[in-house]
Amino acid sequence: MALLRVESLRKSFGGLMAVKDLSFHVEPGEIVGLIGPNGAGKSTVFNLIMGILKPDRGRIFFKEQEITYWPTYKIVDAGIARVFQIAQYFPRKTVYENVEISAIPNEIFIRAADPAPKTIQSCARTGLCPAEHSPDDDRCLCRTELPGMLPQGGLRRLELARAIGTDPELLLLDEPFAGLSPAEVDEISHLIESLRDEGQTIVLVDHNMRGVMRLVDRIVVLCFGEKLAEGTPEEVARNPQVQEAYLAGGGF
Amino acid sequence: MSLRAIKFGILGITVIVVAALGPFLPAKWMTTLTYAQLFAIYAMGWDILSGMTGQISFGHIFFVAVAGYTTGLLNLYMKWPIWATIPLGVVMAVVAGLLFSVPALRLRGPYFSLITLILPLAAARLVIILADWTGGELGKFGVAALCPFSDFKANQYCNYYSLWGLMTGIGLFLVWLSSSRVGKILEAIRENEEATEAAGINTAKYKIFAFAVSACVVGLGGTFSVHINESVFFNSLLSLTTSIEMIVASVIGGMGTIVGALWGGFLVRGGEQVIREVAQLKVPVGSEGLALSFLERWATFIFFALLLVLLFFARQGLLPLLLGLVKKREIRGG
Repeated sequence: MALLRVESLRKSFGGLMAVKDLSFHVEPGEIVGLIGPNGAGKSTVFNLIMGILKPDRGRIFFKEQEITYWPTYKIVDAGIARVFQIAQYFPRKTVYENVEISAIPNEIFIRAADPAPKTIQSCARTGLCPAEHSPDDDRCLCRTELPGMLPQGGLRRLELARAIGTDPELLLLDEPFAGLSPAEVDEISHLIESLRDEGQTIVLVDHNMRGVMRLVDRIVVLCFGEKLAEGTPEEVARNPQVQEAYLAGGGF
Repeated sequence: MSLRAIKFGILGITVIVVAALGPFLPAKWMTTLTYAQLFAIYAMGWDILSGMTGQISFGHIFFVAVAGYTTGLLNLYMKWPIWATIPLGVVMAVVAGLLFSVPALRLRGPYFSLITLILPLAAARLVIILADWTGGELGKFGVAALCPFSDFKANQYCNYYSLWGLMTGIGLFLVWLSSSRVGKILEAIRENEEATEAAGINTAKYKIFAFAVSACVVGLGGTFSVHINESVFFNSLLSLTTSIEMIVASVIGGMGTIVGALWGGFLVRGGEQVIREVAQLKVPVGSEGLALSFLERWATFIFFALLLVLLFFARQGLLPLLLGLVKKREIRGG
């Protein structure tokens, strides 16, 4: 049973067809790379899956349940979480409070579980706090630091912590390496690897195939909103159409 | 000390001071502070919606009007007792809040604010069109009084402490709510709505809830105002100035802090009166002394000029300024 199934998804903005009859699926435990040059429609696909955009046509299934026109929060509750390409955070809340939001249940009147253990766990899993301080320690920077003080890599960790705080069965990562220094790229890849080793299913968007080859099990190549190729990283890399598209689009 | 404890502490001290002041107040000041308390209720009500979620409403006086006219007119024409009409008025305000919130929340930023501005304008026209019943701009007298004493002073005390009770209750509830999980989410919506949705939160539900609470609080104030004035009075129930002043009070005190809005309410309603009092004084200069009575005419102007200066130096408002100073000292002290 596929965890996520996208069927002939179509979305256009005015005259521009951003996603054209795209179908793909994600199996549980897999890491799938959604690769394509800039403007290929990768982020649009994520926005369609998350309910931020509504498709013109096509259907999206999560655990065999159709989620096509669901609102975002319901999709998140069902088990899909997304990390944005440009960090989205709460500038006046501390790092800890930023992560805490996803641990707060979506209920106004029902008294639910304390969000603290979950928040601490998410912070620890993403390495937001240095190992010598656990996040429940008041000395931990999480408690006092605002997200604006974090480096790019730290912001990515914060977003990952907030995303995994919703207990996602499927994690969507939108260009997780964009804007990071080489050292930070290594750190974040290790983090993604460790999530994969814990059994986390991930779909990862990137325009750079080389950077994600090592991380992914399968690649779906998009070009002008259409699926160009699909397969293991090796298969895709050998595909002449892919090579042409990438060379035409400025290379890998 | 947690922020919540600090807020409860400041609220506690403020309401105890207001309660203790009562017996020492000259009649004029008692009236001023009675209305300052009423206004503080409005400001806190505005703050729980607009201050916390960042959806700036210019039209909160509309909910005052819905609740106020409901209780006033039902009491006046149907002769229903106020213990029945006050809750009805509040319910009507909440219903109005809920009805309005659904379409309003589809709008973002300035569009939302503009729509909220139209609401009291439309309501004002309606009140004037229906002047036979509502009394139009002149209002209608003869509404039952909140306090049934024949003695003026007893009545004044009763009004003062009734509003004190209401203000204290609302203050406690709103400080608790604003620092609860619901408050954290309302703040998150203000700071980044998309990220809040992405964290699995149904932001619309929370905004509608905040709307209902806000309309309820402001409506409660409106019903008390009608029965204290013993009239449905256009200028107190549908004044756009009051609507704007709610925003000023909350901004001066510190948006989204509730306690700050309460302070702001006292500052806006009490500050002007302070300048008028100063105008009564004589400065002991020369043999005659220098009368400051020329200030009287300028009181409102001076007051607003001072508010501008205050906002220039403390953009986030008084309470955050104060908390910032405390925090700085804590850090310096290690």
